[in-house]
Amino acid sequence: MLAQQIVNGLSLGAIYALIALGYTLVYGILAMINFAHSEVLMMGSFAALGAAALAPSMFGTGVLALAGLFAASMLAAGALNATIERLAYRPLRRHSRLTPLISAIGVSIILQNAVFLWVSDQSLAFPQPLSGDAFTLPGGAQISALQALTLAAALALMVLLHLFVEKTRMGRAMRACADDLEAAGLMGVDADVVIAVTFFVGGALGGAAGVLYSMSYGSTKYNLGFLPGAKAFTAAVLGGIGNVRGAVLGGFLLGFLEVLSAGYIPNGAQWRDVIAFSVLILVLLARPSGLLGERVAEKV
Amino acid sequence: MRARTLAAAGAWILAAALSACGPRDHSVIIAVAAPLTGDTGAEGQGIKRAVIMAVEEANASHRFPYHIEAKPFDDRADPKEAVNVANLIISDPRIVAVVGHYTSGCSIPAAKVYARAPIAMISPGATTPEVTLQQTSPDWIGPRVVFRDVATDDVQGAAAARFVYSRLGLRRMALVHDKTPYGQGIAEQFQKTFQELGGTVTSFDGISIGDRDFKALLTKIKDDSSRPQGIYFGGLYTEAGLILVQMRELGMKKNLAFVSDDGAQSPVLYEIAGDAADGAYLTTIGVPVEQLPSARDFLARYKKRWTGASEDIKPFDHFGYEAANIVLDALAKSGPDREKLLAVLPTIRHKGILGETVFDDKGDTLNKIVTMTRAHAKDRSFPTVK
Repeated sequence: MLAQQIVNGLSLGAIYALIALGYTLVYGILAMINFAHSEVLMMGSFAALGAAALAPSMFGTGVLALAGLFAASMLAAGALNATIERLAYRPLRRHSRLTPLISAIGVSIILQNAVFLWVSDQSLAFPQPLSGDAFTLPGGAQISALQALTLAAALALMVLLHLFVEKTRMGRAMRACADDLEAAGLMGVDADVVIAVTFFVGGALGGAAGVLYSMSYGSTKYNLGFLPGAKAFTAAVLGGIGNVRGAVLGGFLLGFLEVLSAGYIPNGAQWRDVIAFSVLILVLLARPSGLLGERVAEKV
Repeated sequence: MRARTLAAAGAWILAAALSACGPRDHSVIIAVAAPLTGDTGAEGQGIKRAVIMAVEEANASHRFPYHIEAKPFDDRADPKEAVNVANLIISDPRIVAVVGHYTSGCSIPAAKVYARAPIAMISPGATTPEVTLQQTSPDWIGPRVVFRDVATDDVQGAAAARFVYSRLGLRRMALVHDKTPYGQGIAEQFQKTFQELGGTVTSFDGISIGDRDFKALLTKIKDDSSRPQGIYFGGLYTEAGLILVQMRELGMKKNLAFVSDDGAQSPVLYEIAGDAADGAYLTTIGVPVEQLPSARDFLARYKKRWTGASEDIKPFDHFGYEAANIVLDALAKSGPDREKLLAVLPTIRHKGILGETVFDDKGDTLNKIVTMTRAHAKDRSFPTVK
């Protein structure tokens, strides 16, 4: 049973971690919580659904359909996130930190209601190109093709993100902006471009999470993003917001906490959120800036 | 200044135009209170369509010397919203009775508002015993106003337990519910009857509506050392569908039976669970409408009136239609007066598509049939288990 619960926790945590990365990337540079992120993930899922509805022949089964769903969702969610930044956050960048926060909540409400009113207020079936049958792992745990894909895709995206941030010019510019936005600007880094790219990357990761999340549960809905968004935000804070490794650690940790409390504590399924959030409070009491701490400026 | 005058005049004309298209002043209104949006919106929309159809038929028959209208109110399956809606309803003097609410969670608080008016409500879907039972409490303020034409959960949970014990021959069941009065109530009734029969309940767990990951709980049930042979779930189709999908992912569908209630028995179950829904046992209250000889004509009319892919008949539509017709019967006897209508309702013997509906002194129907159906994913139907 422990082996099975570890598989469950890994696949749940991988999705939290992907979403948490979107929160943490933005926070790292702008010190702002993008509360519209959960809606970006929902919109990504709807973009994939829309693409599948427009070209049903392409989205039947197999690798091509999967690639198509991910491409549609990640591009749409990335572009949307960058657009939100341009329209709703950039004009407010020099104001108090509360102002863009309120703007973000506004965007979140607008997007959710736009889908509710114009697209559908019901659960919509989401394409499932993978078969739902389970494989047995050594140790007796069952893993479905989808869970394996979720883990593989999440890990691959995290490695790509790491390489992007650490090895490319744009990644270096992002790190410079995270250290000191104004100083980076004085050194010739175009902060507007870097921020737009950051939002695009964060949104695209959210879009990928949106597809994985909708596929796992076979349906999507206008408020799909709320619950995983809130959990992933928690995961980001747990790991240390602004810290990329912290977001991944926090995501997996939260996934495990939920799964283990539901699996091992009597009547734990009712209490899993209470237990997970109690642990969060305890961690924050001991380490107010999260497990790995906020990103610390690199000394040269 | 002139612009402001113009704007005011414009607004006045607009308001006048709007009120002109509103309901006719002398019409009599039957309120339909149900979730029209959200998770259970599909069922509520179905009930709304059924009531509109009943009212249209009454108008076409010229039984009444006045025009009758059905006016929908959206309670979003949210108890707080249901109280708001109930207050709106009692403040409109043209409304003579309420068909609704659909969920027990909404019906319980809304009934208290209707008792203040007083105005009668007939619920086509609230199956928790508490919905009518609360009226017999000494704390109840006002007359008894709640009626329903569906059988209660004690009937349904008990019938499911007898089926599982005798027909499926299972002795150990794991119970899961969604923590709502409906889901938990029905699971508790199942537990009571199953234990009386000699069965063992190996676990009793609640899940949260809106949660989508139940694998941790299902893994616990799968590896339970008391080896449950099946899962009984008290709740609605969204969570039931997710549980079925995740049971298959965990390789549990082969060895464990899945049994649930009428809240899970919806075509939308197939949207969520797909083929994983196949083989699920689901009780339904009354006889499935396709098999009621008295309802065949209703089905044909329904399909004719409401055509289109999203307007298929939903599991509670015939209860909504019947509730509206009971109100119309009472209205014919009492005239368009809330209190007289309420006084007449307990004496009504309505012969309709569900057979004969008579209310007992609590307001519950005496017509209590529960049928077991089994999901058949290939053609997305729920054939009766003979």
